[in-house]
Amino acid sequence: MSLSPPTFQTQLTLSRPYLTRRQISKLQCKTITDRRSYNQKKIVVIRYLSELCTRLNFPRKTLETALYYYQRYHLFNSFETELCYTLATSCLVLSCKQVETMKKINEICNLSFVLRNIKMNPMKNAEILNNFKKQLFHLELKILEACSFDYRINNYVHADEFIVKFGKKLGFSYQVCHLAWLIGYDVLKLEIMLIVPQHCISLAVLKIATELIGQDLEIWKKRETFIKLDVQQLQFQEAYFDILNFFINAFELCDLKDNLPVGVPMISIDTFIQLKKRAGPEVGIREMNESSLKADEYFAVQREYTVRERRYTLIQSLVKDESNSLEKMH
Amino acid sequence: MSTEITTPITQTEYTKEKKVGEGTYAVVYLGTKQSTGRQIAVKEIKTSEFKDGLDMSAIREVKYLQEIQHDNVIELVDIFMAYDNLNLVLEFLPSDLEVIIKDRSILFTPADIKSWMLMTLRGVHHCHRNFILHRDLKPNNLLLSPDGVIKVADFGLARAVPSPHEMLTSNVVTRWYRAPELLFGAKHYTSAIDIWSVGVIFAELMLRIPYLPGQNDIDQMEVTFRALGTPTDKEWPEVSSFGSYNKLQIYPPPSIDELRKRFIAASENALNFMCGMLTMNPKKRWNAIECLESEYFKEMPPPSDPSEIKIK
Repeated sequence: MSLSPPTFQTQLTLSRPYLTRRQISKLQCKTITDRRSYNQKKIVVIRYLSELCTRLNFPRKTLETALYYYQRYHLFNSFETELCYTLATSCLVLSCKQVETMKKINEICNLSFVLRNIKMNPMKNAEILNNFKKQLFHLELKILEACSFDYRINNYVHADEFIVKFGKKLGFSYQVCHLAWLIGYDVLKLEIMLIVPQHCISLAVLKIATELIGQDLEIWKKRETFIKLDVQQLQFQEAYFDILNFFINAFELCDLKDNLPVGVPMISIDTFIQLKKRAGPEVGIREMNESSLKADEYFAVQREYTVRERRYTLIQSLVKDESNSLEKMH
Repeated sequence: MSTEITTPITQTEYTKEKKVGEGTYAVVYLGTKQSTGRQIAVKEIKTSEFKDGLDMSAIREVKYLQEIQHDNVIELVDIFMAYDNLNLVLEFLPSDLEVIIKDRSILFTPADIKSWMLMTLRGVHHCHRNFILHRDLKPNNLLLSPDGVIKVADFGLARAVPSPHEMLTSNVVTRWYRAPELLFGAKHYTSAIDIWSVGVIFAELMLRIPYLPGQNDIDQMEVTFRALGTPTDKEWPEVSSFGSYNKLQIYPPPSIDELRKRFIAASENALNFMCGMLTMNPKKRWNAIECLESEYFKEMPPPSDPSEIKIK
């Protein structure tokens, strides 16, 4: 099959809102050349966006959605250090629209300048602001393309809201839910949001919270718990182990250690190592094998933005039907 | 299985053949889906001209139409990017109820109205059961397919059903179709606002003129309450606590005889159906299921077959 870009007039892409770890690595290989720099910048961006959200009184879901967009963008677009703040701000602007926490764009932009110590020149204020806004709006569409315009994600399900909903449903105390909510903030630093749906993350976070408080509950061993909450067990385990691994491997980056609520036992790396030991062998979602990954154009071919008509769909059968009819034509 | 088609194709899948409209945030073209020959409408979103970037109406339109597929809701066929512009491909719907109401050369029967109401309510019910509020129902947004099927369209103001404590803007719904709780400036409301709009549309279909045509927001309250009575705390507890309530003239609700005189051709069940939708208290107002199960749809005449309604 010839893949020379100039011949393409149309391209149809099926949305894949969640990917496996190996799939993510495969995509990032093409977009992130300096992994260390990317990780460092991501932590800075999280702090920056958190500060913006706090000052603008946005709920956690606005921050969560912005960070999903930020990470998703870098699966299909090159990581550029100097673009980070602009991209992060654009992700926040789009997130506000997605979760309907509206704010004036100028307010967000001006606060962004303040947080980044950008000294405004009174003569050129309007010009600087307008240029910044232009950059934000240009990126908006690129972010949405990276998400295949799939608005199902970050629409009704947000991790923090499901911590409360599941917590209530399972009869957990305020203390457990509060602790889970705090752990949930650290989870925003992980790529797990790109891998499993948020409600699976919420349940994994609740499990860790109960364990940190010292509760050894039978419900985590029962299949009905997962069936009742419509959580796939493998996705739950993927999230559970990913979060434990974060606390074990990057404990110094966690905010939880400095924000433990009263009455919760102190935590250390060892606390999480013990939890992991008790949890048994690490399991998670099934990975695609290397040969399938190589054969899959979604991962093998660099996203081509010069194609004249770039179509995005959520319906798998549509891709199948059009693919079949094309094969017949050729 | 590969989920991407990258086979070289010499032409684009969608053509834009004729510009048929231009709104604040989009230009609409008639076109064709090349692989099937299906006629479609392409809404090209004007991204660059907006001071706030991608317009909220476009986001809402995609967000909610992606979620719902129903015979009585417009179909979002495709989404594509071309020359840095976002394009929404929608099914081609050549007419709407506003055009039909206004066109005096078109005669329609009570059975036709019943058919349109049934289709509208099915579409609205589908939105509500998917936790979506439309927030802009009016004849102009009830489009008609070539075979006469009503499709609820324009989801530019839609939103998800809010959480119990979420604050919303009351500046939604085109004025004449705005429910009383919105006129009072309520910060929280439910799917009942859409049912009110459907009630006003039903009245308009029977009268063939707008039923509650307020000149401005204050006049809208006056017109609404003059026609249907000013709500009191008795039927709508605490309605008097809305800030604007004290300035209102108190009108009595219309008697059944007055309604009969105004809606001459309406049966008792039709009037009851309309009053259910135009109940002042949103908690007592009929929901979409109650409307669909109403006696009005069970009595004679049966709803017309949509394809047999002669609209031209």
